Amino acid sequence: MRMRPLFWRHLTLACHVRRSKMISAILNTLTNLFSKPATRNYPFEKEPKDDNYRGLIVFDEPKCIWCLQCEKVCPPGAILFTQNIENGAYTYNYNPYLCIYCAECVRACPDKASALSQCDGLIPPAGKNQNVNDYWFKIEEEAIASKEEYKKMKALKKSQGGDDAKTETA
Amino acid sequence: MSKTINIPLGSQHIALLEPVHFTFECENEHIIAASADVGYVHRGVELACASKFRFKQVGFVVSRVCGLCAIIHATCYTLAVEKLMGIETTKRAQWLRLLANELDRIHSHLLCLAHTAENAGFEALFMQTMKDRELVMEAQEALCGNRVQFDFVTIGGVARDVDSRMIAILREKLTKLEQKIENIKSMFLTNQSLSLKYKGIGKLDFNKAEEFCAIGPIGRASGIKHDVRAVSDYLPYSDVGYRLITETDGDIHARNMVRLRELDNSLLMIRNVLDGLPEGDIAVKVSGMPEGEAYMRVEAPRGECFYYVKGVKSQTLDRVKIKTPTFACIPAMIDVFVGSDYADAPAILASFDPCMSCTAK
Repeated sequence: MRMRPLFWRHLTLACHVRRSKMISAILNTLTNLFSKPATRNYPFEKEPKDDNYRGLIVFDEPKCIWCLQCEKVCPPGAILFTQNIENGAYTYNYNPYLCIYCAECVRACPDKASALSQCDGLIPPAGKNQNVNDYWFKIEEEAIASKEEYKKMKALKKSQGGDDAKTETA
Repeated sequence: MSKTINIPLGSQHIALLEPVHFTFECENEHIIAASADVGYVHRGVELACASKFRFKQVGFVVSRVCGLCAIIHATCYTLAVEKLMGIETTKRAQWLRLLANELDRIHSHLLCLAHTAENAGFEALFMQTMKDRELVMEAQEALCGNRVQFDFVTIGGVARDVDSRMIAILREKLTKLEQKIENIKSMFLTNQSLSLKYKGIGKLDFNKAEEFCAIGPIGRASGIKHDVRAVSDYLPYSDVGYRLITETDGDIHARNMVRLRELDNSLLMIRNVLDGLPEGDIAVKVSGMPEGEAYMRVEAPRGECFYYVKGVKSQTLDRVKIKTPTFACIPAMIDVFVGSDYADAPAILASFDPCMSCTAK
């Protein structure tokens, strides 16, 4: 018989404590029910972009002094220069799929040249285009081979020129 | 002798965030023995650092060890190399490094809290925390230009400067975040269903924590007063209001509370950095090559991250050794598993915040 009032007292106490939480929980549910979703309606609504966001590297060829600093510092090796064997002119190659947008090349580019800059644009996914890798592997080989070949050519020419000069003096 | 049953957890499991394999020997519901295998995402980063890349590029490689504490790895490596080469960077660069480090800690802790909630069966809180975490991700994007891979710390300084517009964006995001964190904190403190899953479960007492060398929030939740930020001055933490946070209970609730209180402290530090950012250059010129040996430790969100670097006066380093916090906490984790219920295993695992990419590297 003594249990009953104690039980009711506990129950009313519990209800009293819970009531405030209950109300806040119901309010929370209602606000969540009628509030806008936290996600964006993606394909129709694009994410706001800041100018500071990192993206692709833009190359301005007329400004370039061909010091090859960017090729040296690029961590993934996304910038490679191939060389023309005849006149030694460099060609700039950039793989946007390999680039990690770290902008180390932009910082390495000498102040007097500043041929490289970073934009906030990104490259669309390669998808089924299988040529992306094969194309780049070829350039990787070519970048090493063409430079070596040009060096050899130059050395050969020099030695020939040297021989000529020697024979002339002799 | 009663019959036991072996239950494998992982390497792919719905309660796991990352590939790790556990074998639990269970007697009814109780785990009586546990073992772990962590090598599922080995990528050979250490060898790549010492063979394929130049020492100035390695900072970007070690950032890719872990997505959550990318900036911590880069900072630790950079500080080690700077120690080796005797470079002293500018004060502004140091403060900016601290800013990026603390933003990283906030997002990592929020992710951990979200997953702890999820693994305790509280999906709504998981979603809410992840939604609020978006604010700090946006702040990081404003600061570094990228959400996850910051590439902010370079040898000699930092990669980008902040201007007044950026500081305003950061302040706005952090003010919003502060209110959200208060909400999450009150949820973790007062919600009854979370308390049932957290309080008194996964207990690691002080002696055991000391015996197994628990570090980071796990150790601090058990009352170990250790934090690299407190014992070493690798970044100017003493100037910006760092405070050592410890709890005594050592259960999942205590670990969550350590993380929540660290969030508050990190927010305070970021505010102080934004208020008192020194003027000056953001980087110094680096010349020469590293020669000799150096080590550096940095407080990652999960504990102490250790780097050993050996250079032989060439562009390529001779050795880079990485010791990550999760690896150091695995013995303690195994000990906590033994004696608890199998049903609690996911919650305990999430409370340890394991980062397997770091561990296997």
